[in-house]
Amino acid sequence: MRRAFFKNNWIAALVVAPQLLVIFIFFYWPTSQALYWAFTLEQPWGGGNEWVGFENFIFLLSDDRYWQSVRISIIYALATTALAMGMALILALFADRQLRGYKAFRIGLIWPYAVAAPAIGLAFRFIFNPSAGVASYLNMAFPGIWDPVMNGSNAITMVIIAGAWKQVSYSFIFLLAGLQSIPRSLTEASAMDGARVLRRMKDIQLPLLTPTVFFLVIINITDSFTDSFGLVDTMTSGGPARATNLMVYKIYEDGFRGLDYSGAAAQSIILMILVIALTFLQFKYVERRVHYT
Amino acid sequence: MIERTPLLNVATHAILFIGLFMLVVPIYLVVVAASQTLQDVMSIPAKLLPGDQLLVNLKAAWTEADFGSKFVNTMILAMGVVVGKIIFAALTAFGIVFFDHRLRMPIFWMVFITLMLPLEVRIVPTYAVAANALSPFQTIFDWIGVSWLWNTVTGVEMALNWNLLNSYTGLIMPLVATATGTFLYRQFFLTIPDELVEAAKMDGAGPLRFLWEILIPLSRTNMAALATIMFVAGWNQYLWPLLIITDPAYGVVAVELSRLVPNMNTTGGDIPNWHWAMAGTLIVMLPPVAVVIFMQRWFVRGLINTDK
Amino acid sequence: MKFATTSAAAIAAVVTASAAFAQDKVQFEYWYGLGGQLGDVVQATCDRFNESQSEFEITCVGQDGYANAVQNTIAAFRADQHPTVVQAYDAGTADLMMSGEFYAVHQMMADFDIDIDWDDYFPGIANYYASSKGELYSMPFNSSTPMMYFNVADLEAAGVEAPATWEEFEDVLVALKASGKECPYGYAPSTWIDLEQFSMAHNVPIASNNNGYDGLDSEYLYNTTIHVKHMENIKRWYDEGLLEIRTTQGGLNSRDSFAQAECSLYFGSIASHAAVGNLVDGAFEWDVAMIPVYEGTERHNTVVGGASLWVLSGKTDEEYRGAAEYLKFLATPESEEYWSTNTGYIPVTKTGFDTLVEKGFYENAPYKGRELALESLTYTDPGPLTRGIRLGGFIQARSEWSNEVQAALQGDKTMQEALDTAVSRSNDILNKFARTYRGQELP
Repeated sequence: MRRAFFKNNWIAALVVAPQLLVIFIFFYWPTSQALYWAFTLEQPWGGGNEWVGFENFIFLLSDDRYWQSVRISIIYALATTALAMGMALILALFADRQLRGYKAFRIGLIWPYAVAAPAIGLAFRFIFNPSAGVASYLNMAFPGIWDPVMNGSNAITMVIIAGAWKQVSYSFIFLLAGLQSIPRSLTEASAMDGARVLRRMKDIQLPLLTPTVFFLVIINITDSFTDSFGLVDTMTSGGPARATNLMVYKIYEDGFRGLDYSGAAAQSIILMILVIALTFLQFKYVERRVHYT
Repeated sequence: MIERTPLLNVATHAILFIGLFMLVVPIYLVVVAASQTLQDVMSIPAKLLPGDQLLVNLKAAWTEADFGSKFVNTMILAMGVVVGKIIFAALTAFGIVFFDHRLRMPIFWMVFITLMLPLEVRIVPTYAVAANALSPFQTIFDWIGVSWLWNTVTGVEMALNWNLLNSYTGLIMPLVATATGTFLYRQFFLTIPDELVEAAKMDGAGPLRFLWEILIPLSRTNMAALATIMFVAGWNQYLWPLLIITDPAYGVVAVELSRLVPNMNTTGGDIPNWHWAMAGTLIVMLPPVAVVIFMQRWFVRGLINTDK
Repeated sequence: MKFATTSAAAIAAVVTASAAFAQDKVQFEYWYGLGGQLGDVVQATCDRFNESQSEFEITCVGQDGYANAVQNTIAAFRADQHPTVVQAYDAGTADLMMSGEFYAVHQMMADFDIDIDWDDYFPGIANYYASSKGELYSMPFNSSTPMMYFNVADLEAAGVEAPATWEEFEDVLVALKASGKECPYGYAPSTWIDLEQFSMAHNVPIASNNNGYDGLDSEYLYNTTIHVKHMENIKRWYDEGLLEIRTTQGGLNSRDSFAQAECSLYFGSIASHAAVGNLVDGAFEWDVAMIPVYEGTERHNTVVGGASLWVLSGKTDEEYRGAAEYLKFLATPESEEYWSTNTGYIPVTKTGFDTLVEKGFYENAPYKGRELALESLTYTDPGPLTRGIRLGGFIQARSEWSNEVQAALQGDKTMQEALDTAVSRSNDILNKFARTYRGQELP
């Protein structure tokens, strides 16, 4: 860890102040209001509320629908992160070899990132459509094997693939940027020592990439917990039979479509605690092994 | 650097090609749908080859949704988010990595937690803040009695009000108030060797000069990557603009685009003009794709300076 | 920046601003949920209103969906930035009524001396939005009711006629299948059609307290009525291949499957009539009929679907006057004709309907058949069970039903089990709603 510091703490205060002010106004203040609702029964139109303590939480925790949502959210988060990071890492390492056609590949691998989630959702719905889309050819060969409209595990698989797809380019951008900032002299020196390409990837590039990988794992996991609304909304609306009812989608549905502000607020708290706990664990156990400098 | 690795080269190309294929297929299908007639786009089984209606559909989408002025607004929104994030995030990360004070980790976590709860789930109270960005202070002042003091001393009632609805500030600020950038800078700053800091101090450089002359130039690639990500995120914003913008003069493209997408939730529903919706998607995609392609020259350093 | 501590100067500025404003037109906002082509027609209605007079100016803001319109209005209301008028969907009626934050249109029209013949509204429509005393709280606007759409050519080829009962309906499905039709019936689970309108037409309760009209302490009952038998039939037809599930998530929804001649039958709102006409575009002959009922039951009226216009509290008298003028403008037969011609929605007043009938509107394509929706709505006079639905948190209850029915169709459980679960969960929602508004009563 770092040992050299500047001493002027008033400058430190000055530089962190702007962002703290903005997050206080636009994050902490509104969030604290939402959290207060979790302990009340809030009338949506603001007519008043009644303090109910932990009742909203007790109801949630005894509700198997809620646990189902938690379970599939965790599956979704782990699966999308693993898929997206794995693919992005392989692609970045090989793209970084800068063989012929490298520039074209690089552009081709990066620009899908610019596509908005709803458009991705629509495109994937089209691909996986059991009767009309690309997947219909699969069904022609093996009738009834693929039906995300009626089959829950097919549906969640479809959403996972779309979610992973959405993250690949994002991770690729940062990994490639990370690889590019590894001094060429390092890899060249190692090449002179006779290390082959794959060995250099393993011994030099991957270890030097760990801060970026760590950053991406955290971002990907939190993102898959918190940023899956657009995809679910366009692809499955949480169905069939709640098989894709991810936590953030459920919060939005219950709270703002269904006007149950208090139940949604309680779910928000649990979501937050869950994501914080996951992140904290990673910081504690993974960041120690991340190799800085 | 010349090595002979023919087998591995073939494998490399194959891997990249498969990756490219998997990433591009969905977009290809958007293009296909955007180039067909309504009948073709709805037909079963799907037609997998582009039709000849692309220009017709692009034109229909452009006139159907009023994209002209919306592009300007969205550009302002996206640029605002980019600039805001880059500046705020760099400053905060600098403050928590290069200074030795007890609040380093608490501040980092305070910023970091903002990642955990997306705007979708706190949209109602956030709206209330946007309607009056000073309401938190008003409430606090009322609570601790400052308002009472002010009212008694001046005889004028204290009413803080700063309405951000239907304004660029209101669009941009809540989107800046998250932690992605801060975290990224922190990760990068942690890799800066201690020796650099020591050397700077030896030369008598203060922290701000160190930031400006050493850190900022070093983090160019990260900045470019962050700017790209933030531009795309800002450009594709939908739910927040939909809520706080009621004056069409401030409308953004994603909201406009969604008006093209057939809505099945209303009773009766709409004509499923998917071909227009997809053509609109292509139009709306264009600026962020251009930015991504342009910006990658910057965050992929190898291109500019290959012998580094 | 509009940053100001209120001071003498700021007050002065406000006074000048409002003085300057007064010479201008009175402005007020209207947020609506309809999108796409229907939204364009709403916008056109606003333009027509602005051109029709010079005193008021309405600003109409599309909110991209019913759910968004209500939810954004609530967010705005809590920050005191809400519109004067909002379009809210049928299922949200109880939630809005309990909020108390509205200006009942019945009262408003009386306060502004605008004479509206309330008896002119079709009772099947008015009752849905009226208080227990029969006073309209919101203004009926885009109104529809479900219909059975059928492909005339397919039915002829199978040698059958449009069914009037569900027993005949099953025979038709079998005949269609035998005639080689892959998808006789394109089905999408819909609470609105399968549960709500079905129960109305059969005069059976959805919930106790006359579907919630008589109190907040209601309980759902639909797992005990003929609705169960109907859903079990649907499940059986699905298993036997007589119906295919066609939802938006699957690519082609039931309406588009019908319009492309994939499926011979589908149930949908009369509001789709215009869209189906455009989509079919003369490719085959089709028609609509009232939804079937089971043999041995006496057919009753269906109720209105769609949305109504609510005037919200906390606005100035001038804005209310504008809103009243706008609602009055919408209630004219000319406006009704404009609306019904450009969309598939039906007129909400008897005069509006009669005017169209006299003009021969319903005699020819593409409008022929839409009068059946009114026949369905007025089939009997609305009774205690066919007035409508007054249940809190109904949006969530709808989703409980859909999820459980999906589970049953997947074969995870029997239909009875599914409906039992849906009912018990929906009762939790009602409970919570009643507790949230403890000590209050439905108006």
